[in-house]
Amino acid sequence: MRKPFSTAKNLIIFIIAQLFWLALVGLWIYWYVSNYLIFEKVGETVSPQINIQTPEVFPFVGGLILLVALSFTMVLIFRHLNLQIRLTSLYDNFIANITHELKSPLSSIQLYLETLRSRDVPLDKQKEFIEQMLRDTSRLQNLINSILEISALESKKQKTNFVVKPAAEFIPKVLKDAAANFRLADDVLIINTNGNNNILVDEHSIRMVFDNLIDNSIKYCNDNLKIWVNIDCKENQVEIDFRDNGIGIEPKEQKNIFKKFYRIYDDDIPNVKGTGLGLYWIKGIIKNHNGKISVFSEGKRKGTTFKIILPVYKNKKLLKKSSAKED
Amino acid sequence: MQNHNFENANILLVEDEESLAKGLEYNLSEEGYLVDIAKDGKQAIEMFDKKEYDLIVLDIMLPYKNGFEVADYVRKKNPQMPILMLTARTSVDDRVKGLEVGADDYITKPFHLKELLLRIEGMLRRKSWYTKAVNTSPVYKFGNNEINFETLRCRHRKHDFQLTHFEAMLMKYLIENKGRIISRKELLENVWNLNPEVETRTVDIFISRLRKYFEEDPSNPVYFKSVRSSGYIFEPD
Repeated sequence: MRKPFSTAKNLIIFIIAQLFWLALVGLWIYWYVSNYLIFEKVGETVSPQINIQTPEVFPFVGGLILLVALSFTMVLIFRHLNLQIRLTSLYDNFIANITHELKSPLSSIQLYLETLRSRDVPLDKQKEFIEQMLRDTSRLQNLINSILEISALESKKQKTNFVVKPAAEFIPKVLKDAAANFRLADDVLIINTNGNNNILVDEHSIRMVFDNLIDNSIKYCNDNLKIWVNIDCKENQVEIDFRDNGIGIEPKEQKNIFKKFYRIYDDDIPNVKGTGLGLYWIKGIIKNHNGKISVFSEGKRKGTTFKIILPVYKNKKLLKKSSAKED
Repeated sequence: MQNHNFENANILLVEDEESLAKGLEYNLSEEGYLVDIAKDGKQAIEMFDKKEYDLIVLDIMLPYKNGFEVADYVRKKNPQMPILMLTARTSVDDRVKGLEVGADDYITKPFHLKELLLRIEGMLRRKSWYTKAVNTSPVYKFGNNEINFETLRCRHRKHDFQLTHFEAMLMKYLIENKGRIISRKELLENVWNLNPEVETRTVDIFISRLRKYFEEDPSNPVYFKSVRSSGYIFEPD
């Protein structure tokens, strides 16, 4: 991953542009005043009978207002440009990362196929290679699906299948399945539940949420990963605290991590692979469940906690609403 | 496959994609090479420091230290180590950067197995030729110049400087073929292992660098002469 985008260069250009602009304003005032004095002198000399009135302030004030308005426009243009440059930089980073994520399993599949074609591979090795290729195709499929699903989520065309589930049973099951997929040791994931309430969920989407959170915990942990999940079922909402002992997130970065394509560059674990879409996707999914997600970390090397709040399912209205949306 | 003479060559394979690393390890082992795998840049540097390798196959996007940083480190410690960069990046900038930090060759993912194996063999052959050539005469002198092919240190009058790996390879090839007209095509194929159809300017750029290093007046060369529409001739005497 490339190092984060810096606005310092653009800011310097902006300050220089503003100084240039102010110099122009000063020059314009100087030109106006000096010309007025020349006109006055010429007027007095050439035609003393012409009665020169007091200075005309309207064009002067009008000109100043125009210049101030132009300055504001420049500030707006600068802000817009800065945003565009930042987005382009994030997008370029995304393209580089997604290219890598797509090409790596593809290369692996091609390599195994060419190996099988050109060599006499023993039967046990053949089986191993086929398993490896299947894992690679599954990885490609997941990546492509995630991009399509994010696109569907953004355009509100996502196919959902909302069902009522008891939180204290459903969430631990999803978590355990995800941990098994990532081949985590039994003692890595510790789940604690308090009470039980029904929640209305799209099972596939919620699986994506916890898959992504566990994937992040693995990627951003140096060693001896531990994940603690506390599921607290309150009267109106279910609160899920997902905490890990990873490298943590600095406070200034915490507000940015849910932004599309945004990725943190950390010197402790540089070059972590990913697309910058995971947490953006998670936020979209939770929002689609009328819930909220927030992040908390005391800082670097102090772990990270994601807090997910989902509303408790109490009446049938919500269910009807979601069914109608599906139709 | 397996028709080369470099069996038991030690290859350090730096690839964090487990699946790809396993497939490459199998194929390289089948070719008779001895392969060690490093999963990230930090591990690659540690392994490089501990053991002597004949060639490094290096991915660019690696955890902890990327391929450019690893290549830079390796090149500083061993200017002659052949490095083959293996990457998903295809931009010209990445290719240029890779070659600048000292990669000898660059292959993009997805690649053909046969092509990869041929390139590895070509690099090992060039390394073997260079090592033999250096062992027989590590220091070469001509005019007011002196070149040490082991350290790649040079001296022109009282001025000391360092040659890059390719500059040294080109110089060595020219010395071995002194007094003979060598075409650009021949140089590209034997020194760079590149396709002569597309890279003809490379030779001119490198010859011009050698003239700047070793000629008293680079615009009127005495040692590295151009032969109209044929190539170059090295005449040290």
